Parts: sequence; structure tokens; C-alpha cells
Amino acid sequence: MIALTSPYLWYTTRATGLVVLVLFTMVVALGALVANRVGGSTVGRFELNEIHRTVSSVAIVFLGIHILTTVVDSFVSTGVLSAVIPFISSYKRVPVALGTIAFDLMIAVWISSLAKTRIANSSWRFIHWFSWMAYAVAVIHAFLTGTDSRHGIGFVVVLASAAIGAGAGVWRFAARPARAAGRTALSPLGAVVEPERQPNRVVSRPRIEPDAVPPSARRRDASRPAADNARRDVAGGAARPTETGGVFPRGARPSRRGRR
Amino acid sequence: MGVRRRIGGFVLKVNPILCDGFGHCVELAPDLVRLDEWGYPIISPTPVPLSNLAALESARYAVRGCPRQALAIERVADVQP
Repeated sequence: MIALTSPYLWYTTRATGLVVLVLFTMVVALGALVANRVGGSTVGRFELNEIHRTVSSVAIVFLGIHILTTVVDSFVSTGVLSAVIPFISSYKRVPVALGTIAFDLMIAVWISSLAKTRIANSSWRFIHWFSWMAYAVAVIHAFLTGTDSRHGIGFVVVLASAAIGAGAGVWRFAARPARAAGRTALSPLGAVVEPERQPNRVVSRPRIEPDAVPPSARRRDASRPAADNARRDVAGGAARPTETGGVFPRGARPSRRGRR
Repeated sequence: MGVRRRIGGFVLKVNPILCDGFGHCVELAPDLVRLDEWGYPIISPTPVPLSNLAALESARYAVRGCPRQALAIERVADVQP
């Protein structure tokens, strides 16, 4: 029981708190990069997605250490249940509660992402919006609760994280891709972008024409000009799901921000 | 079992309702997927034999990497050699 009374658990809590903040800042920034379709030439889009997934797994582990050491440590009395139920900690009631709320939201995001293949993608996406709220609450929690976060290097870390997170949020909204907006019922972007866009979806599936050209020969050649690739697409006679089957009515699908 | 499963082929299928044109699939399975001029995938409906392990693996990566879960691997019994 020496460990429970020694200051090392408390130091671990403080240190992992800052580490978790930095990690989740990375996760949020990477998520914004994926959602806004960054990558494709120097770094692959799928690579950013993989880094987003991997770093969030690491962040969850550090968050677990942060919460475990806080609960186990006897230096401050937060109680076991305050890890999941907000506003029951006797130590710094409101600041600790903010961390609890952020943790609960992150659990929802985490579980839904683990079950991504089993639930509807729109549900996953709706739950994933809560990560922004969780991150904002977590930054406030870090500033209010953190012993190290109001002066010195800790304050710099919190300030930089808040700036990067806020910047990522603004950029996520400002540079949002037009085609994905409003796909979720409660998407905050969809409400702002186009309230009237509900295309009359035709039930019939598009008929995909068999393609004569083998896939290896049809690969998009980056060294060729874009017009050449487009012309080849037309010449290949391949069916475009967006045009042939009427999944979307004519004119509803093209991007309002111009073609890519 | 390994032998049995090599018989037949697969087709990578995209659900055009779910697809938002992230373009991850063309990076993960460049031999199976190409993009139209709007960035949406065009996938050949011709089945690929399951013995083509590299193609099958890339297709699995594409299914796993799709941010909208719009891809699926569909098994077909017969494949033209």
C-alpha cells in the first residue's frame, strides 16, 4: 500500500493528463484532415485515416491510465464512481465533472467506432460528432483541474492544444466538402449548408455496364493530364452510378464548389 | 479449407447511396478501383478469382478503410478463367 500513499500515482495522473490532452488534440486534428479529404499525393488519405485510428487507440490507453491513477490515488478523494458519473467528486467538483463528461462522451465515440461495421454508418457518424464536444470539455477540464496547466510549460501545452483544436474545428467547417454535407439527420453541417437538399431517391439500382477494358489497363494515370483521363473514362464506356441509374436526380449530385 | 475457398471469385461492390467519394478505396485497391471524374469509384463487375490473393487482400483493406462502410466483398460461385 506504499504505492497508494506515495506521490507517484498523483504525478502519473498529472503527467498522463497532459499527454492525453496532446494525444486527443492530434486525434481531433487528424480526424478533421480525414473528413475534409486531405491527402492523396504526398500522403495517402487512407494513411491519415489509419493514423487517426491508431493515435486514438493510444490516447484511450493513456486516458485509462489517467483515470485509473486518479481513482486509485489517495492524495485527492474523487471516488470510484466519479470516473463515470459527473458532479459527485468531493475534490474540485465541477472541474472533475467536466473530465467525467468528456470521458463518457469519448466512451460513446469509442464503442461506436469499435462497432462501426455492426451499426448504421449514419448512427456512427452522428455519435462521432460528439467527439468535438468531448474535446472542448476536456480542454476546459485540463485548464481548470490541471495542477500544472495554468503556468509554465503546462499552460503552453494547454493553450496550444486549445488553439489547434479550435483551429481544426473552424477549418473543418470552413473547408468542408460539399458532397458529404447533410448526410446525417442531425449533422450540424447539414443544417447550415443546405436545408432543402433531400433528393428524391429512385429505388431502382443503377445498371452497371460490363467493362471491356481490364482493370489494370484502366488505372488512372497520374502522369497524364486530367482531361486525358476523363476522356478515357468516357471512351471506356463505364457506367457512372451517379448518372445512369438515377440514384440522384440530374443536377442534384454535382458539387456546389465545382468539380474536383 | 484453403483449397475450397479458392474456388470461385469475388466482386468488390460499392453502395452508391453510402459512398461520399473519400477516395480511400482507390488508394487501397488500385487494381480493382478507379475513380470517375467526380472522385467516385468505378469498380469492374467482372469477378476476380479468389486465387488472386493480392487482389483479395487489397479488397479487404478497401472494405476496412472505407470511412462510409460503402464497400462489400461479394462472393460468386463461378469465375471465368
